[in-house]
Amino acid sequence: MSKTIETDSLEIFANEMEKVKDALPKKIEANPENAEKGLAKLVLTLIELIRKLMEKQAMRRVEAGSLTDEEIERVGETLMKLENKMKELKEIFGLKDEELNLNLGPLGDLL
Amino acid sequence: MSLYAYAIIDSTVGVEESIKGLSGAPVYTIPYRDIGIVVSDLDSQVQIKTDESILKHEEVMEALMDKFTVLPMRLYTVFSKKEDMLLKVKDHYEDFIENLDKVRDKCEYGIKVIWAGNVIKDRIINAHKNENASAQPEQSGAKFMKEKFEKYKIDKEFEEDADRCIAIVDGFISKFISEKKLEKLKTDNLLLSASYLVDNEKRDDFKKAFEELKSSGGDLKYMLSGPWPAYNFITLKHSGDGKFGGMDLVETVLRHKDPKEKDEK
Amino acid sequence: MIAPAHGRRIISVKGYTMDSPIKTLQDKKSYLDLRKQERVTLLEVLDRALTKGVVISGDIVISVADVDLVYLGLKVLLSSVETMERLRGAPLSGAAEEPT
Repeated sequence: MSKTIETDSLEIFANEMEKVKDALPKKIEANPENAEKGLAKLVLTLIELIRKLMEKQAMRRVEAGSLTDEEIERVGETLMKLENKMKELKEIFGLKDEELNLNLGPLGDLL
Repeated sequence: MSLYAYAIIDSTVGVEESIKGLSGAPVYTIPYRDIGIVVSDLDSQVQIKTDESILKHEEVMEALMDKFTVLPMRLYTVFSKKEDMLLKVKDHYEDFIENLDKVRDKCEYGIKVIWAGNVIKDRIINAHKNENASAQPEQSGAKFMKEKFEKYKIDKEFEEDADRCIAIVDGFISKFISEKKLEKLKTDNLLLSASYLVDNEKRDDFKKAFEELKSSGGDLKYMLSGPWPAYNFITLKHSGDGKFGGMDLVETVLRHKDPKEKDEK
Repeated sequence: MIAPAHGRRIISVKGYTMDSPIKTLQDKKSYLDLRKQERVTLLEVLDRALTKGVVISGDIVISVADVDLVYLGLKVLLSSVETMERLRGAPLSGAAEEPT
C-alpha cells in the first residue's frame, strides 16, 4: 500500500499549502518572561471572537432591514470604537492578526 | 531512554519483521490488554523536529496499515517512562477500543481543490461596485456600517459560490465514503481541503470517482492523497486524568469535546 | 532538505531516485518534480500528524512545531453560543446553514 499524491498541478498545491502552513496559529509562550504576552494573546483572541460575532450579527440585521437609521449609527459607532481599541491593544502587545488565533483540534481554527 | 509512540494497534504482538523508526531505532509493540502501542526507543537529546523524522513517522504508519487497524499518534508523542505511557493508555482504553472499531477496514483519503478564488472575488467586487457607489452616509457610525456591510455581502457571495462548487465535488464521491471532514476556503484559492473515511472495499470506486471528478471540467485543480491512517476521524471523548498534568493553563493541550455530548464528570 | 529515508520510500517519480545523476534537462525536470512531490507529501503529512490523530500528551512535552494548542473553557463559550442560537432560533454567525 504505497501512498499516492495524485495531481496535475503539484506546484500550485505546494504553494497554496505553504501559505496555509505559515498561517497556523502560533504557540503561546508561557515562560515567565513572556507569560504576560501569552496571556494577552489569549484574552485578545477571545475578545476578537466576540467582536467578530457581534459584527456578523449586526450585518445580518442590516441585511434583514431590522435596524433603524439611528440604531445603525449607534451600533456602527460602537463597533468602530471596538475595532480601533483592538488595533491599539494589538499594537501595544506587538501582536498581529494571524497570531490571534487558536487551534481547536477537530474544530479547526477559532477565527 | 524515552519512548516515541507511533500508533495504537489492535494487536498485542505487532510487526514481525524489523521496521526502523526515528534515528534508525527498531520499532516494537508494547501490549496492553488486547491492544498494543507501537514505539521505538529515543535518545531524549536527539532533535526530532526534522523533515526526516516526520516522514519516518508516516512510513512506520504505512507499514502498520497493511496488517493492523491503526490509530496514529500525533507527531512528537514522547514518554520518559513506559509506566507513565501505560497509565495514559489505561485512561483512554475505552476510547481506543471505540475508535479501533470505528476505523477497522477503513482508511483516509484527502482531496484538495484549488479554484481561481482571487479572480472570482475580484469579479464579485466589481459587480458590486455600482451598487456601492451610492452616496456615502455622513455620520461616522453609519459610514462604518456601510463599509462593513459591503464587505459582508462580497464575502457572503464568495462563500455561496464556494459552497456550490463544493457541492458538485461532493456529488461525485459521497456514495463511496462513510464519513467526511471538510475545510472550506482555508485560503481564498484553496476551495476545499477534505478528508474522507473510506471502506477498504470501496477504495477503487472512490478513486475512480476522483478520476471522473478530475475530468468534469471547470477551471479547478484537484489533488488526491492517500491512503492514510484515519487521522481525522479519531475522537477521544474521555480526557482521562487529562487536566493540566503540572503544565501551565496556557500550555495545555486543547481537547475538544463534541458540543452535542453531555459533559462527562 | 529532506534526506532520503531508510527503508521504503513514500514517493517516487517514474523510477527516478534522488541518487541518480542529473545528465539532461529531462533529468533536471524529473528531479524538480521529485522535490515538489516530496514537499507536498511532507505538507500532507504535517497537515494530519501535527494536530490530528491520537492526542495524549506525553510527559516529555515537545512543542508541536509552533502550533498553538491551548486548553480553555472555550468549550463552554462555544456551548453557550450554540445554546443562544438555539433559543433565538437563528445562528449568530455564518450565513449558510451547515448540515450537521
